[in-house]
Amino acid sequence: MGTSATRIQYLRRNLLGRKREVVTRVISTEDEGDQNEIISIMKEVETDTSIARDEVIEKCQALYEEAQTIPELHRDAHKKFLDASFTNDLPPQMAALDASQPWLLYWTANSLRVLNEKYLTKEYQFRICEKLFAISPTGGPFGGGVGQLPHLASTYAAINALALCENGEDYWDMVDEKAIYDWLISLKQENGGFKTCLGVGEVDTRGVYCALSVASMLGIMTDELTEGVVDFLVDCQSSEGGFGGCPHEDEAHGGYTFCAVASLHILDAIDRINIPNLAKWCSQRQLDPERGLSGRSNKLVDGCYSFWVGGTAAVMELYGLDHLINKSSLRDYILYCCQNGSRPGLRDKPGTHPDLYHTNYILLGLALCENSFNLSDNGKAVQCKPLPVTAPSHLSSINPIYGLPTKNVQKFISHFV
Amino acid sequence: MDNFDDVTPLPIETELEDELCRIMYTDEYRETLGLARALLQAGEYSERALKLTAKVISLAPAFYTIWNYRYDIVMHLATQRGEVAEAIDRELDWVDEVTLNNPKNYQIWSYKQALLQKHPFPSFKRELPILQMMIEDDTKNYHVWSFRKWCVLFFQDFSHELSYSDLLIKRDIYNNSAWTHRMFVFKHSEPDSTQIKLEIDYVKDKIELVPQNVSVWSYLRGLYENFWDSKYDESIIKFAASFTSNVQDFDHKDSNLPEIESSHALEFLANIYAYQENKKQNAIRAYLALSSKYDPIRKVYWQRQISLIK
Repeated sequence: MGTSATRIQYLRRNLLGRKREVVTRVISTEDEGDQNEIISIMKEVETDTSIARDEVIEKCQALYEEAQTIPELHRDAHKKFLDASFTNDLPPQMAALDASQPWLLYWTANSLRVLNEKYLTKEYQFRICEKLFAISPTGGPFGGGVGQLPHLASTYAAINALALCENGEDYWDMVDEKAIYDWLISLKQENGGFKTCLGVGEVDTRGVYCALSVASMLGIMTDELTEGVVDFLVDCQSSEGGFGGCPHEDEAHGGYTFCAVASLHILDAIDRINIPNLAKWCSQRQLDPERGLSGRSNKLVDGCYSFWVGGTAAVMELYGLDHLINKSSLRDYILYCCQNGSRPGLRDKPGTHPDLYHTNYILLGLALCENSFNLSDNGKAVQCKPLPVTAPSHLSSINPIYGLPTKNVQKFISHFV
Repeated sequence: MDNFDDVTPLPIETELEDELCRIMYTDEYRETLGLARALLQAGEYSERALKLTAKVISLAPAFYTIWNYRYDIVMHLATQRGEVAEAIDRELDWVDEVTLNNPKNYQIWSYKQALLQKHPFPSFKRELPILQMMIEDDTKNYHVWSFRKWCVLFFQDFSHELSYSDLLIKRDIYNNSAWTHRMFVFKHSEPDSTQIKLEIDYVKDKIELVPQNVSVWSYLRGLYENFWDSKYDESIIKFAASFTSNVQDFDHKDSNLPEIESSHALEFLANIYAYQENKKQNAIRAYLALSSKYDPIRKVYWQRQISLIK
């Protein structure tokens, strides 16, 4: 910390090798400039964790130091990146995402809408709906592609992608809410969770969020569906304050924490959890000097947690807790470190390549940084209001619960509910 | 490859001319997946189908539909031949191989759980080496740690866990997965006060080694909250204060704040003092110092903590 940090990094880099036994070193900053009177002692050790973090710190600091102008979002470049995803076929190695095809549609369509609602053209909308109903001609539940079993994550992504489209060709009326409801019920487990897929599948907070997001958007929430779910989620809060995947004291994780907290909001049960511990844990995710958010304690910052942890903070804002993260610093991380000059697409951290997943969640995270959130209409509607920001990115208003633009959520829900 | 002349592969693509995000499958991929789809639809539970699913999984490890199909084939063949334990053992061996090649895969773990639940005499001993290898390779792999917890509960065997976590902590004292694994053990095993006291001593040793470590302070706080009703004794307060140059006890101008050994120690102390009637001023001083010097990126959070005291 403070003045000795640079020196420690120097020592770590130059004097120590990798994977050493734990060594304790005492470093004096006695001889550093006008801090002469302070003799401070810092103990640090060299481990895989500290080496990995130092590398990231170095890259981030270099970007902050060379920054000269007011940071801005390279919107045209990112639009190009997204249009390319919709106009080109994907290379064979993308078969790794063969079981996640609705996600590709959601990430791309949502990123376009968040950048500017007009970027998702009528033609794109038509083709998104065509593809989704080719995957599930009966109108849901949805699988990852043609001939694949219905899956909670695919169904969540498909419903979100449909919500991003207008109801131009009455596509929304093709959704079979009854079939989706019966299927969700069939996935319910004794412990209150949902299995991702009939047969073999995992039961975790992510599955719960996918199920509740879909059900609340389609207006098919019932007591039968939600019975026991709050208890399941409450048990997923770890002693650290964040949430894990399973109710057995899993390690707190940014992605699972968002899923749990957004679900608890949908269930109107935020008061059931330990809120001060959640606030502490979220706040601890923001690292200095990187300024970005990490997904777990002592893990590296990653742009996607701008949404998973930032979104958790945004949900808590709805309850008057607006102090969980430092939005302007996070905004710096996104604009300086998640963009590669003016090249297309957004990335996890300096030194990595952009992809659709990160582009979507980083854009959502940026929207969270430039807006404040509160509940209106007697607690029923989520309001998103611009914060005063120098050179704002002019992104669409978003709803943090669903990770979608506010307008699209409103239209879709009012069609079904 | 087995003979599939009698099977017509089913399409794995939409028939749309201008499909969005179309994947350019290789011929091998299209044919293998098409055959697997056809067999799945026909409900064929055979040896050749089993081999085909292995091929699909090697091409597309995240293809959950085929994992499901494979499970049905394995169980079907096992029951048919009346050798359930042997069949599941063979399958577990095969999964281990897949696991080593796909450490980040989501499907493997629920698949293994399903197999172990069907095994007539499952063994934790069988699972330990592969779990160890996986962690060795990626010491914070979330799925592996979570699955390990599931195993511990399923087999009700906590005997290896603290020493295993200690091994990982010795290797990397910042490994939060290893630290939180200890909390898992204690929360599931009703420890007595001697055990907790020993654990707190363990934690203190590690803090003395590296005071600036969020995992270990978080864990220490968790121990007090979970097992001692947040009743912090004088000795732990004194211990924490030994890393903060006592900045919480005196008024400082921001420019005069000294270097300290651990901002997490100061956060730990502030949280205790905030609830003690005669120590609220100390808590406020700690939060102000965190806000101005030791962890300023969390300024809004510290300010809120101060406002909650007043």
